[in-house]
Amino acid sequence: MGEYLERVKRVLAELEADDMGALVREALDAGEEAADLLGAMGEAMVEVGRRFEEGEYFLADLVLAGEEMKEGIAALEPFLAAGDRGAKGTVVLCTVKGDIHDIGKNLVGTMLASAGFNVVDLGVDVAPEKVVDAVKANSAQAVGLSVLLTTMVGSVGEVVESLKGAGLRDSLKIAVGGACVTDEVVERYGADAMGRDAVEAVRIFSGWMA
Amino acid sequence: MSDKHKRVLDALELREPDRVPVMDLMNEFSTSNAILGKKSNPLGRLLQDERTSRIMDRLLALPGSARLTDRELERFTHLGAAAAVRMDYDAAWLSCFPVLRFRDSRVMNDIFGRLCDVSVDAAGNLANPIYREGLIKTPADWDAWPKRDIFRLPEKVNRVFHEVQAEFGDRLFIFAFANYGLFENTWQPMGFERFAVAARKEKGFLRRVIRFYADLHCMLMEAVADAGVPGFVHTDDLAYKSGPMLSPRLIEELFGDHYRRITETAHGLGLKIIMHSCGNTTSLLENFVSWGFDALHPLEPTAGVDLASVKREVGDRVCLIGNLDITHILVDATREEVFDAVRQAIRAAGEGGGFILAPDHSHPDISVERLRWMVEAAHEYGTYPLRLQPEVAGESRG
Repeated sequence: MGEYLERVKRVLAELEADDMGALVREALDAGEEAADLLGAMGEAMVEVGRRFEEGEYFLADLVLAGEEMKEGIAALEPFLAAGDRGAKGTVVLCTVKGDIHDIGKNLVGTMLASAGFNVVDLGVDVAPEKVVDAVKANSAQAVGLSVLLTTMVGSVGEVVESLKGAGLRDSLKIAVGGACVTDEVVERYGADAMGRDAVEAVRIFSGWMA
Repeated sequence: MSDKHKRVLDALELREPDRVPVMDLMNEFSTSNAILGKKSNPLGRLLQDERTSRIMDRLLALPGSARLTDRELERFTHLGAAAAVRMDYDAAWLSCFPVLRFRDSRVMNDIFGRLCDVSVDAAGNLANPIYREGLIKTPADWDAWPKRDIFRLPEKVNRVFHEVQAEFGDRLFIFAFANYGLFENTWQPMGFERFAVAARKEKGFLRRVIRFYADLHCMLMEAVADAGVPGFVHTDDLAYKSGPMLSPRLIEELFGDHYRRITETAHGLGLKIIMHSCGNTTSLLENFVSWGFDALHPLEPTAGVDLASVKREVGDRVCLIGNLDITHILVDATREEVFDAVRQAIRAAGEGGGFILAPDHSHPDISVERLRWMVEAAHEYGTYPLRLQPEVAGESRG
């Protein structure tokens, strides 16, 4: 049985999966537990992240691994118990109002989910009040804001102000990412951290919610 | 040959000109309108207004509405050239891009298969569309995609640049931009998630698309050269904030030979060709040089590109263009900060020639006043032989 766990982990980490969904279903049929398979995929994504940070893998490799991971999770979904996912905490993610770029945001979502976070992805072009509502509804501990367009970077400040206005800011961490984000943007709009890529984002949220 | 042409050519051919040339990307209606003191274009306002947008929805659905869009985008090329001349730039990146097709007042696609949101800037100008997703996911989608407008593109580009070169070509070294680069035109019409999978598992499909666009690029360069334009921009964002989007090995495998064919074609036609790639391109510099590009832009400082290091690494083999920041310096910086940034850039890359000062991108919020300071500072600090030794560090302008 354990050989399937190793195989799932290896093909995902080596970017060699032909059909991750089929492999996961085969593993389930062979008697592997869904939670164990999810754990194996999570370990593989940690390895993918490590290779990315060391310069062996690139953005397209992270995205490919993320797509494979999503296929695997879809196959596992009917067999997962409520407590199998999201144990590390809840992060609300979105691309801010006025911007619709989502590659980075989607990748952060996949990486966070594979690292054990519950991810509430609000999509793109999201108004500040929707972020506030989602934080309340999901008792989120952190928010991740993505912005690519230089002209829309002010939307980050609007979200921060809305969270302050709702009395949520003090109990919440906010990370920002995207092409136009700099340390100055983080400081100017009152966020807590900037992630340059999805792997760094996972490290930031893990540091806050360990 | 005009002084400006000689200045730019000297820089491109890695000689010291009389002074560091200055260029800009004339990619925003708002910036060009502001430079020329013109009002915003009516199309943007009509699309934005709730009442008129409903009328536009009906108009844009009519056959022949594409001609309206094409005319507006062709006007854009002339507007940019006039604005660049008014700014006394030595060179300009001019876009001729009649490739957008409105679906309604909110959504458009381009002729290559990108679905985009219509974008209107704060002044009511039509702005660069905002990419939403790709429409060509499979080989069958690619086969079925209507390509007639793509085949017509070189003719339109040739006509517009004939006009622009005739009117402005003696006062401006023109770099023509007429299509997205190979990498962008491969992944964006299918979406990056789909592309990332195809790059590993469906290389045959990708190679068909890449070859098609390499052929198109060569024909576009024929069209531009026939118009007498001296330069061409291959704009292809291969990197993002922290590095290449795809492994350099895979970029070379899929795209390398096509880039070489494009630069060889350019040089055979007498064109100088710029590679524009946003993001941290530091690990791709040797690739760019080996592919044969004459110049690299934008060398983006906010993505961590260090201009002095790039100069040391490849500055003796390729001209560098950039790298003035457009997140702060050319938006809301003080005059002193703009002068300091120009001086630092010239000090980092100007020695021995091979450097053209330019913003690292364009967007509607760039300040025309700060662009004028950029030109002023370049004239002050960029005269060869350069006098930017360490003893002037800390010098400031009020």
